[in-house]
Amino acid sequence: MMEALRLYVRLVRLSMQARLQYRADFIMGMFNVIALNAVNLGLIGIIVYRFVDLNGWIIWELFFLYCLWLLGHSLYSLFFWHFWDMEDYIVQGTFDQFLLRPASPFIQYLGREVQYIGFADMSVAIAGLILAYTNLHLQWSAAQWLFFPVVILSGTIIETALTLMTACIAFWTGRSSMATNLVMEFNVLVQHYPIDIFGLWFRVIVTGIIPVAFMNYYPALMLLGKLDPRAPSAWLGYMSPIVALILSLIASGVWRLAIRRYSSAGG
Amino acid sequence: MKIFWSFTRQAFQFIVAYRFDFFMEFVLAVVRMYGIYWVWRILYTQKPGAFGVDLVQMTTYGVMGMALEMFIWSRPQWYMASQVKSGAIDTDLMKPLDFHLYMLARSTGEMLIGAGVLGLPALLVAYIFLGVQFPPDVLAGLLFVLSLVLGFLLLFHLNFLLGSLAIVALDIRHISWAYFSVVRFLGGQIVPLWLFPPFVAIIAEVLPFKGTYYIPISIYIGRLAGADALNALGFQAIWLVALVALSRVLWGMAHRRLVVQGG
Repeated sequence: MMEALRLYVRLVRLSMQARLQYRADFIMGMFNVIALNAVNLGLIGIIVYRFVDLNGWIIWELFFLYCLWLLGHSLYSLFFWHFWDMEDYIVQGTFDQFLLRPASPFIQYLGREVQYIGFADMSVAIAGLILAYTNLHLQWSAAQWLFFPVVILSGTIIETALTLMTACIAFWTGRSSMATNLVMEFNVLVQHYPIDIFGLWFRVIVTGIIPVAFMNYYPALMLLGKLDPRAPSAWLGYMSPIVALILSLIASGVWRLAIRRYSSAGG
Repeated sequence: MKIFWSFTRQAFQFIVAYRFDFFMEFVLAVVRMYGIYWVWRILYTQKPGAFGVDLVQMTTYGVMGMALEMFIWSRPQWYMASQVKSGAIDTDLMKPLDFHLYMLARSTGEMLIGAGVLGLPALLVAYIFLGVQFPPDVLAGLLFVLSLVLGFLLLFHLNFLLGSLAIVALDIRHISWAYFSVVRFLGGQIVPLWLFPPFVAIIAEVLPFKGTYYIPISIYIGRLAGADALNALGFQAIWLVALVALSRVLWGMAHRRLVVQGG
């Protein structure tokens, strides 16, 4: 385990050095992400400016929801974004390189890249959360403060596990980006809007099948004090770490199957 | 004209080759339409008849924004950027067709296929399941189609300008998200311009972007009718002329630069 971590850190340092050669890219990329988030938040802002609230969610609560998702996502995009590219390695057969070296293919693949774009997401998210926290006059208890980092990490793990699983589809079909896109589409809706505005089947999907609602909606109910403790579904507000754990177990199983499948195909 | 059609056919073959991706694209679009439908439905249940439109008009606006998204976006800028990068642009320049027209032909092909394969089926789903309405009368329907064509051409030229800019000045990969989101925002794809706060509306009203989504869809739902609709079409036409002229100039510069560099 320590061995793997040391290897990962070394690989990441190498790819960081390669990246930092292109400073203009870095600045443009940051600008790009900040502009994207500004437009998204602007749209939510306009809607609430005109309609006062969205199904009982006022502007700062919606920003909190958006940024809670974004903070978990930023860690994912820093370290795991390149799952999107895995299909290229598989189709072109360049994935072989990870199997030939005497180290875990997973660590090797992870170490290939770090996406600096995650830093831009992270700054937007932290700024948004601080603003929301102050403007909503939240007073978190010690338990809520402890729960907060757990929620963020759970969010990262949920998104990572889901993306890893959809990326693994490529081991069987050669293509996977569209499946990853589909997960992303649900992610975008869940990030922007509280899922209580949607119809039943949508809520079932994002809770039970592609459980991205645990990245922000359910924990936000708890953290914003919107949770009604008598409601039969109140326990969902605390479930993010459990969901993250289950998903990562499933994802690691899928990954193992996928690697076995790739080797046996002689590829 | 014959050459124009042969390039359009090329685009068609490309799309047939990637039919699975198109099917998934369709699913994504349905999810998006569903999402925006509920947003407006909830807001208009809270505040019925707000800002002079009713619930069905507003959900239709939202769903149409997502439907148009699937086919009015042509991507000449990507093609230009990648051809320049790989050096393959010189074969394009040798083709017996003006490059600007060549790009337009390709994009038109993509748009027609996109509309047929994605747009119309998605709208069919929207008519059946999301209660999207038809235009109020035949005239509005015709004006909508005309406005949509102008919108497509406007967006094509904005993208073509960006592509030319990519050749002259910069790497466009890293501003693409920012560009897309600004066009969608000022174009009124998700939130119509009449909801914008005054200081943003002033900017959005004069820029060409509102000709891409806002004007066609507003005509479709009957929010812009009669003289207003004709004025809006005039606005699109004037901007189109300006953008075509600008495209020719900027492409001329980009072209010279490519030739000087030896293709």
